[in-house]
Amino acid sequence: MRLPPSPEERIDRSRTVTFFFEGEPIEAYAGDTIGSALFAAGRRVFSRSFKYHRPRGLLCCSGHCPNCLMQVDGAPSVRVCTAPVREGTRVRSQNVLGSLDRDLLAVVDKVGGPFTPVGFYYRTMIRPRRAWPYYERFLRRVAGLGTIDKHARRSSRFDTEHRRAEVLVIGGGPSGLDAARAAARDGRRVVLVDEGLALDAQLPREDGFETIAPARAIGIYEGGLVPVDAGDVLLRFRAERVVVASGAIEQPLLFPGNDLVGVLLPSAVRRLTRLWSLRPGERAVVITADDRGLAAAEDLRRAGTSVARVVDLRTTQPAQMAARGSHGRVRSVSVDGDSVDCDVLVMSGGSQPAYSLLAQAGARVEYDGTRGIFVPRDLPPHVEAVGSAAGEGARGAAAVPAASYRGTESGGRCFVCICEDVTDKDVKRAIAEGFDSIELAKRYTTVTMGPCQGRLCHLPSIRLYARETRAEEATIGTTTARPPWAPVRLGLLAGRGHEPAKRTSLHHRHKELGAQMMWTGEWRRPHSYGDVAAEVRAVHEGVGVIDVSTLGKLLVSGPDAVSFLERLYPNRFGDLKPGRIRYAVLGTDAGRIMDDGTIGRLSERDFYVTTTSTGAETVLAWFEWWNAVWGYDVSVDNVTGALAALNVAGPRSRALLARLTELDVSPDGFGYLDAREARVAGVPCLLLRIGFVGELGYELHFPSPYAEYLWDTLLERGADAGIRPFGLEPQRILRLEKAHVIVGQDTDSESNALDANMSWLVKFDKDDFVGKWALEHVRERGPRERLVGFEMANGTVPPEGGQIVVDGLPAGRVTSARWSDAVGKAIGLAWVPPALADEDSRIEIRVDGRLEPALVRLRPFFDPDDERLRA
Amino acid sequence: MRDIFRTRRMWRPRGELKDRYDVVIVGGGSHGLATAYYLAKNHGITNVAVLEQSYIGSGAAGRNTTIVRSNYRTPEGARFYQRSVELYERLSRELDFNLLFSQQGHLTLAHSDRALITMTERAEVNQLLGIDSRVVGPPEVARLCPELDLSHDVTWPILGALYHPRGGIIRHDAVVWGLARGADRGGVEIHPYTEVTGIERSNGRVTGVRTTRGDIECDTIVSATAGWSTLVADLADVRLPITTHILQAFVTEPLKPFLDVIVVSSQMHVYVSQTDRGEILIGAEIEPYTTYRGTSTFPFLEYSARHVLELFPQLENVSVLRQWTGLCDLSPDYSPILGVTEVDGFVVSAGWGTYGFKAAPIVGTTLAELISTGRTPELIAPFTLERFYTDTLVSELAAAAVSH
Amino acid sequence: MSFLLSCPNCGPRDVNEFAYAGEVTSRPAERPSVRELATYVHFRRNVAGVQQEWWFHRFGCETWFRAERDTRTNAVLATEAAHAEPDGQAAPAEAAVPDVPAV
Repeated sequence: MRLPPSPEERIDRSRTVTFFFEGEPIEAYAGDTIGSALFAAGRRVFSRSFKYHRPRGLLCCSGHCPNCLMQVDGAPSVRVCTAPVREGTRVRSQNVLGSLDRDLLAVVDKVGGPFTPVGFYYRTMIRPRRAWPYYERFLRRVAGLGTIDKHARRSSRFDTEHRRAEVLVIGGGPSGLDAARAAARDGRRVVLVDEGLALDAQLPREDGFETIAPARAIGIYEGGLVPVDAGDVLLRFRAERVVVASGAIEQPLLFPGNDLVGVLLPSAVRRLTRLWSLRPGERAVVITADDRGLAAAEDLRRAGTSVARVVDLRTTQPAQMAARGSHGRVRSVSVDGDSVDCDVLVMSGGSQPAYSLLAQAGARVEYDGTRGIFVPRDLPPHVEAVGSAAGEGARGAAAVPAASYRGTESGGRCFVCICEDVTDKDVKRAIAEGFDSIELAKRYTTVTMGPCQGRLCHLPSIRLYARETRAEEATIGTTTARPPWAPVRLGLLAGRGHEPAKRTSLHHRHKELGAQMMWTGEWRRPHSYGDVAAEVRAVHEGVGVIDVSTLGKLLVSGPDAVSFLERLYPNRFGDLKPGRIRYAVLGTDAGRIMDDGTIGRLSERDFYVTTTSTGAETVLAWFEWWNAVWGYDVSVDNVTGALAALNVAGPRSRALLARLTELDVSPDGFGYLDAREARVAGVPCLLLRIGFVGELGYELHFPSPYAEYLWDTLLERGADAGIRPFGLEPQRILRLEKAHVIVGQDTDSESNALDANMSWLVKFDKDDFVGKWALEHVRERGPRERLVGFEMANGTVPPEGGQIVVDGLPAGRVTSARWSDAVGKAIGLAWVPPALADEDSRIEIRVDGRLEPALVRLRPFFDPDDERLRA
Repeated sequence: MRDIFRTRRMWRPRGELKDRYDVVIVGGGSHGLATAYYLAKNHGITNVAVLEQSYIGSGAAGRNTTIVRSNYRTPEGARFYQRSVELYERLSRELDFNLLFSQQGHLTLAHSDRALITMTERAEVNQLLGIDSRVVGPPEVARLCPELDLSHDVTWPILGALYHPRGGIIRHDAVVWGLARGADRGGVEIHPYTEVTGIERSNGRVTGVRTTRGDIECDTIVSATAGWSTLVADLADVRLPITTHILQAFVTEPLKPFLDVIVVSSQMHVYVSQTDRGEILIGAEIEPYTTYRGTSTFPFLEYSARHVLELFPQLENVSVLRQWTGLCDLSPDYSPILGVTEVDGFVVSAGWGTYGFKAAPIVGTTLAELISTGRTPELIAPFTLERFYTDTLVSELAAAAVSH
Repeated sequence: MSFLLSCPNCGPRDVNEFAYAGEVTSRPAERPSVRELATYVHFRRNVAGVQQEWWFHRFGCETWFRAERDTRTNAVLATEAAHAEPDGQAAPAEAAVPDVPAV
């Protein structure tokens, strides 16, 4: 039933909205919240408490407390007191067994009390150990609030906006508005964000500054970042000045029965009566430490609720106070033995500045003993507080209520924390047990760790704690204010969820050809085009082509290029003639292998350096750093994205290339490890005659816009030679047959070039190179393990990552293993102890729990003398 | 059970510092308290003081994401952490304090074939050492965790996982409190709000510590201070190869049972579990820069949320309740630095990075043995500080993600 | 991370645009002993206070620069572009934190 219409009300009685509660339709007015509509429909019990399953009703009506948490359209723990009604919304209660009005788990409240004191779970269910999993399953089932549809998918779209303001005002109450207006008058670019809960109905839209509502600041983070939850949009604000006008939070009083349904904070009364024209009850008692309670009494009277008694704690200091109820609803209140029947009890324990945002920003929080509240002090630069958030007592003096009030003989629970169902007894017991600092007590009792994040329990718990430990509140301090300031949905934080992925300029060609794509670092690359064995065969017998555009490509140029590279790599480059290529391994000063690739000398002062696909960025940064501090006259240009690259490999690759270029591709004209610049099918290319896959082959590097054209041309002109595109998997087999190493797979973060059998490229006679000292020490002490080839005795392919076992213990590991048709064996690479690193050494590899024999091989498995490669 | 009907102090109120202790333990976290507990219990060494600059468990012990597991890459690491898991399994009974150890199983997801190789390596090493650990394919991942998004139209499809059935989560504060109670009952003194300001030495060995509450003489000092390790070691002029980084985590509002296995994706730098209280607990990788400022950052929430929803899109409307940050002491090889140093009597437990909490009981037993016998137990010999000078690292780092 | 760093080229930017590359250390001038080499390669000061460190503007102009940052507060006191140094400069830590599970 509604009160007669008033000009203040926020509902539009001409428009009705229907939603469903527990499947039943509920009619509401536009402008209602789910909470107000349910209240209008007669509902008083809105939730069951976390531990005791006590009935709980509206308390704050401001989105702070846990009492109205419900499932709304599948979203758990929505505060329905502030959630606007929408047509068709489905609302359900949560954390009940049965129904809200008859919750079977309420038995815990009736009988469980003595068995479930604070921390009871630490002291019970210990023996027998095998019973614990069952206890645990039960505990887990009764814990928690909302439920999740396990099969749901993402349904909403969230966006992120980066915003700037000269002045960002958080909170649209009178002080916030004043601050915004003043800053706007000074010509500042001002944005005001407000949660949209203000009592004064809608915020005025004013000229001079932008208002965003409903929008809630999530925190004030390092660097002045203020993210704002604006529903489906996350606004990431950076402001020169942040003005916090977040107001104050009404505090409860601690007395037995303070959680009964019908116990309200003043704002709840104001909002119910003024915004939604609802009568909170028939007969009320008001106990207040400040004027808010008196105002609530006025609101009640205006709404037709009789106010049976008002206790102003500024003039009376009761020694005893208790509310009694039946079926969880308040029925009477007794103060100093004087009992008054009522169905509404307004309690106001004063208001605590909402300082959390300020504390997160770095402000100190100090207890003001005269007012009995915490106030923010020493604000960081560029952050200020105004109004009641700053601790300004605009509403007149408030009494400091007792930390808790003694009840009547018959008892009743006195709650310090309604989120976690922590009572005054629990806090006293925790102290008696030795949890004698506030942070320890918080963790043990879990006060402030529930959904209200301490808004309603932080101050009362510290007052209680101070009284019980006979300490001053000021010396106890506060617990740390942890962001976010209010719960924020994961979906909003995630935004649209971009993940970086790199595609080569041939990506669509690969897809058209039916390639299975796979991840290699951030790159998407073809695993194969469907027939791995045929692709391998094509390279061995005819010609194949693979997209190697993912290779890192750097141009190193300048008069000091040779000195620069010689100091970076263990290799020598001074003797490398223009037009020639050398395999090179990059190392760190710890002697570890960092990356590998080929380096082609294009001219006296120009080098073309390739890196691994995922190492490009690191290598570039590494080059840039050394170049900067050494001061060489060298430029390093990253052409990784600018150039595409194809490896055309196989005995028929020469013939195919000859059709497409005027370059002399004869063995004498273009030998192994030569680099040439020429046009291929009209495309300007750098051709590198190298052979990672072990057959005659040419790497073509060229401007990436030509990639599809050149790819198509190669496939078309090579069709009669049986050309096949091949993917990474065939490439892995082909290179393994040659025992070519993949850095990062066959080597790891501890591998060095000597143990990895690359000592031939390490030139110790150079004055200095990065890693020289470490490699010298490695040389002196000898290898600790060695990278070798192996072939399985019986053809079983061991798993990559499989273990070499000696005396039943891990002694080495397989880094690569495949079946090779060309070799007719299962082959691989492995790190083994030096004692087992000789040709024909017998090793045992664990495969499916059995030990399988293998023989060490130190030469390539296929074409050991590189005749095909050099052909 | 009868404990719930009576109120007994967990530990004595903090008393005055004595002039002299046999052993002073710096750091009242899980490692410091475990060492104190086992010194008293296993070796009868009770003239011990645990000094803590704040309240017990205020550092890494109270801020970690409580995962306990032993499926490490190196044999040295796996063997060590396996002993720790075994000790944790009986610790509730031993301490008569329920640590709420939930061995719900631990799944490390593979999103690439390279990751599968690393996991195979770990599983093979683990199995050879008798640790229950195996690589499972997508169908078994789906069986173990039906809530995971196993579809292929996601950024990082799940190709398999390393499954470790005995991995679990435990209530971290309970570990701290249980050990503290055990140590206290064993006769050890616990001194919260007592900060160490200096370490006295003579002829290359420690002789005492200076604190904000006065000076103490002692024969042995154990530093178990995680992110502050290098600062404490500096007081003894011992250098540690450690950098300090922040590690962050957050919890959502409590939910009814949703997830009953721990899910880790190192590709996406995120790990997810559900606590016994019902909160979804989400942690990430450490931040790459060094810092002692334990402040929470917003981008952490953003990228973690993004990654969690990649794995569990159902959680879209679940709200984050609280985020926090701890300090981690990262060693170059991601293995701990445990045992003696070049200063006699100065013993360290450091360099844990993000793994420290898992090792508390085994650190306690081995360091207690070391202090009592003067000999380094074989189990922790590989983790000596000296290894960085002899280049015998114990690398838990997987292969760099490099590929042709 | 979200504190601000001032790139010598681009001005103040969110720290997420940059790659951290460790403390500024010095590379031995002569061939070091095993112990000296280990110290250079593995050991850092890790001070709680003002630290000289390397940064790279990774998602920006790709400039290397030195920053002076207080590790207790993350306040960046100064930045300066990398420039040629006399011998004795050591390489920054290789890349960022490697890809290993944190738990």
